[in-house]
Amino acid sequence: MTASSQTQTQKIHDVSSKGYLNPIWAARADKLQSATGLLLGFFIIMHLHFESSILISKEAFYHVGHFLEGGIFSETGHGFPVLTKFISAFMLLVVVVHAAFALRRFPAQIQQWRALRSQMTIMPHQDTKIWFWQLITGFLLFFLAPVHLYDMITNPAIGPHLSAERVYHQDVWMLYVLLLPAVVIHAMFGLYRVAVKWGITTKRMAALKLAKVMVVYLMIIGIASLMTYIVIGQSLELPVTPFVPS
Amino acid sequence: MSSPRTISFEIFRYDPQDPNDKPKMVTYEITEAPGMTVFIALNLLREQQDPSLQFDFVCRAGICGSCAMVINGKPTLACRTLTANFPDGKIKLMPLPGFELIGDLSVNTGKFMRELAERLQLWLQPDANDIDIHRLETPMDPAEAAKLYELERCVECGVCVSACATKQMKDTFVGAVGMMKIARFEMDSRDTRSAEDFYHVIGNQDGVFGCMTLLGCQDACPKDLPHMQQIAYLRRKMAQTIVSC
Amino acid sequence: MKIIYTDSLVVGAGLAGLRVAIASKERGLDTVVLSLIPAKRSHSAAAQGGMQASLGNTVKGMGDDEDVHFQDTVKGSDWGCDQDVARMFAHCAPKAVRELANWGVPWSRITAGDRQVVVNAEKVTITEAEKAHGLINARDFGGTKKWRTCYTADGTGHSLLYAVDNKAIEMDIPVHERIEALSLIHDGKRCHGVIARCLVTGELRAYIGKATTIATGGYGRIYEVSTNAIICEGVGQALALDTGVATLGNMEAVQFHPTAIVPVGILTTEGCRGDGGLLRDKDGHRFMPDYEPEKKELASRDVVSRRMTEHMRKGKGVDSPYGPHLWLDITLLGRKHVETNLREVKEICENFLGIDPAKDWIPVRPTQHYSMGGIRTNATGESPQLAGLFSVGEAACWDMHGFNRLGGNSLAETVVGGMIIGKYVADFCEKNTLEINTGEIETSMTKMQQEIDELLVGKGTENVFDIKLAMQRIMMSYVGIFRNGPELEKAVTELKDLLKRSKNIGLKCKKRHANPELVEALRVPRMLRVALTVACGANARTESRGAHAREDYPQRNDKEWLNRTLSTWPDENALEPELSYEQLDVMKMELPPGYRGYGNDNAVAHPDTATREAQIAGILAELGDDADRFEKQAAIMPFDLPETLRPRNERLSDTIAVSGEK
Repeated sequence: MTASSQTQTQKIHDVSSKGYLNPIWAARADKLQSATGLLLGFFIIMHLHFESSILISKEAFYHVGHFLEGGIFSETGHGFPVLTKFISAFMLLVVVVHAAFALRRFPAQIQQWRALRSQMTIMPHQDTKIWFWQLITGFLLFFLAPVHLYDMITNPAIGPHLSAERVYHQDVWMLYVLLLPAVVIHAMFGLYRVAVKWGITTKRMAALKLAKVMVVYLMIIGIASLMTYIVIGQSLELPVTPFVPS
Repeated sequence: MSSPRTISFEIFRYDPQDPNDKPKMVTYEITEAPGMTVFIALNLLREQQDPSLQFDFVCRAGICGSCAMVINGKPTLACRTLTANFPDGKIKLMPLPGFELIGDLSVNTGKFMRELAERLQLWLQPDANDIDIHRLETPMDPAEAAKLYELERCVECGVCVSACATKQMKDTFVGAVGMMKIARFEMDSRDTRSAEDFYHVIGNQDGVFGCMTLLGCQDACPKDLPHMQQIAYLRRKMAQTIVSC
Repeated sequence: MKIIYTDSLVVGAGLAGLRVAIASKERGLDTVVLSLIPAKRSHSAAAQGGMQASLGNTVKGMGDDEDVHFQDTVKGSDWGCDQDVARMFAHCAPKAVRELANWGVPWSRITAGDRQVVVNAEKVTITEAEKAHGLINARDFGGTKKWRTCYTADGTGHSLLYAVDNKAIEMDIPVHERIEALSLIHDGKRCHGVIARCLVTGELRAYIGKATTIATGGYGRIYEVSTNAIICEGVGQALALDTGVATLGNMEAVQFHPTAIVPVGILTTEGCRGDGGLLRDKDGHRFMPDYEPEKKELASRDVVSRRMTEHMRKGKGVDSPYGPHLWLDITLLGRKHVETNLREVKEICENFLGIDPAKDWIPVRPTQHYSMGGIRTNATGESPQLAGLFSVGEAACWDMHGFNRLGGNSLAETVVGGMIIGKYVADFCEKNTLEINTGEIETSMTKMQQEIDELLVGKGTENVFDIKLAMQRIMMSYVGIFRNGPELEKAVTELKDLLKRSKNIGLKCKKRHANPELVEALRVPRMLRVALTVACGANARTESRGAHAREDYPQRNDKEWLNRTLSTWPDENALEPELSYEQLDVMKMELPPGYRGYGNDNAVAHPDTATREAQIAGILAELGDDADRFEKQAAIMPFDLPETLRPRNERLSDTIAVSGEK
């Protein structure tokens, strides 16, 4: 007996056969994106704290800078500015890896973008909105972060006066004004998302609150130090002489 | 008791089978009664104002999952949504996005769920040799049984699918309902599928590694299922799985 | 004309229908299931408390077996059931539970050692055997001697339906969703299939099968307030009734559940009382022990519902804008128990009442809940009048429930009946060929088309929603928990009047596809005919039995009424059904009619009862003392089952000693 069952549900072929490289890469891509994200997120927290040492004093920033450049290992105690080059190059690599995997998440087609916007209009939802801002900031960082890192690779000089010169006289503050909120928002909510995504915490609301507090806090110290550099920069005369603690 | 208020319903209307029809929003007014739910109100509207209004209800008790729709921007079960929850007396109803529209507020969640079940093989796959219905059953850890029931409470209402921006952007993504069910069978000691078997079904961009943890699923689920925890569990499990390919 | 052919056609995708479909497909038969809705949305999902099966794993179920389950079922039915069927059922229930475990149901399991339970409002510690650890647990339910109701928290129906539908998906059984069967294709002797309408496109189709199984559930929605899903409108019973040949059995046997919430009528499971919940009146007084000192809240459902109504009539109900109600108190079970084992109840209370049942009492009232009556079948599930027409589950009057169904026996009937009848359906399909008479199909199709055309282009003026509501109110007012002659007369007269009016329905919405008003207009006259079989059956039955309680005839009258009401509708223009009666043969009963254990024993005895009792004593004496319970049973009332279901059920008590207390 043959049946003519008109809704013989067509078998959707196995999802894994959908031409995605080797299936192991699905897991790897997700892990790498989260791992690089974690690394970048924590790096940003450290980074912003280190450069905010300018808020304490020029001396404090000078010592932090020299310490990080490996001052204790150099005979002069001045460290190796080339280390900044290497760290910057390494971070650039991490950013590239992170961006490469994160790009999978971007709405690639206009229909996807429309679907996202219509979803957010019809059914407003906090976490989706947060992710949307991560998407926007991520897109911005795609351009801004490499510029900053390239700058640090080609011109690694760090110091209270040298940095202030960069910020004020070389007009890099314009980059930082965009970079700071983008990176803070992207990184803090990114860390939150990694935490809930892998079940590192089950206390989602607490984690979200922490992320928001961190955004505010990092923005405050970031803006404050940026303004400090601008103030220092204004007081410097060109050509700038590097700061030396008395 | 104060005099009953008049509430207004702004309802999405569209009959996709009528070539002359266009999607539109139509506003209806109705006198609120104590304890009125969207289920009661919609039926009154159909009986008294517009008998062509399409919507789906079955159990009207929050058990069967038929009546999910977007109510004032939130996807949820209409049968257990009290009109009194909306102080301004304005209620906007939209069909669940992401499903085939049958008409007005009625969408084809049934077809979606059946196809998903076939695609992901969402049924228990026990050891075939272990089945003798005349003999004492195989014991199961009571805690495991309780945990499985917790995950079984899903009513396939489709809310998690609609609430998920990832799913809306990417049609082939399995959505929370698929992952929750896979997690349920993965945890079931009676199921003989290995982690690798599950990996082949769910360990990809359309599965657990395509989920961006936007958590619309968890926030909207009318059964309060632990999506975040379960999907994270599944992700960890799948990420640890070595696939021999 | 669209015709779809299959071997085994099943109408209804709830537990019973799906189980039959699986049984057909297991035998390699082509199978198609029709359903108004997606299978997993079926009303089976709403069964909360559990299903009865005499596994006897828990210490409170020790000593349980098929015999005890059978006796409880027969007594519960007030001797109205078919005892052969009750035997078949009790024997297969443990098999169904174990089979479902293999299909994925996460039955709640036993934890060895001490556990606190609430029995009769007191905390009691029971000790589960070491060997029982991890085996399927059971809870207490009304009208049962043992703790026999297997469960998954309070979502048992949901778990079962999901497991069974998943099995059907695994077996690639097609479920045609949003399809409504509206008439049977038959030649007066053999059923060939159905004419069905697609609720989305409006298309009419003929589904032709060797066997047609109706598994469409009950007819609760002929009442205004019911615990039933809104799709349980009795259209399945109307399918059979409208053939004019097939009979409906015991349609007046309608059960009212004691604890549906007020006012919406959503059920809170019997498990609430099974687990130790109490009923209280407006003074907070626990009144059930005053009426039923032995069984208290756990008397049979019909008894508890009547006692509650009696108590409210004495003015002890709590007044509310929706009329009087009583309280269900589960606060004494403790929050943890409520939040794990009674989760659905908690959700329902929160969403529909805005209360927390772990600390507040729940307003409840007896509400229409179950249809014992349905399409009359013999023990194999087949209509005695129309070959190839089967029915199973609540839709059927297979008749294991008689005039009152025990809690936990309905969910059990769906899967157990489906398991047994499914095999008979498959046998039928294997033995018979598909008979196709295109002329007959066309006649049925044309008739259906005319009915629809009449509604869409006719000049009718009656509003279908008004007629429906009027019917539901008549049923509520006059064919309720307590019934009497004058009110039933009134119900019949008014329903007949409505049926007349229903021939003049006019529609506002003229669409041929997706038209909810047309759907109602096709259903309401069918519902009215079903409602008339209930009202006429109740009016004619001048006794009280089980859920059928006549104030003017309070006695159970075995002498005159130990029979089953059969309704047919041979003349389609008639305004009421024809009633006839099928006698229950006391001389074949394993358990002759006796005292049920509630209230006064005022039954009028059947003349054969004493004779049969003596005969049974004789048979037992002849067997001698070494005969085991199986031999005794077989000697008294042999019953048949499909061969694969005949083996005995293994129990824990076969391996460890039974610890006393019966």
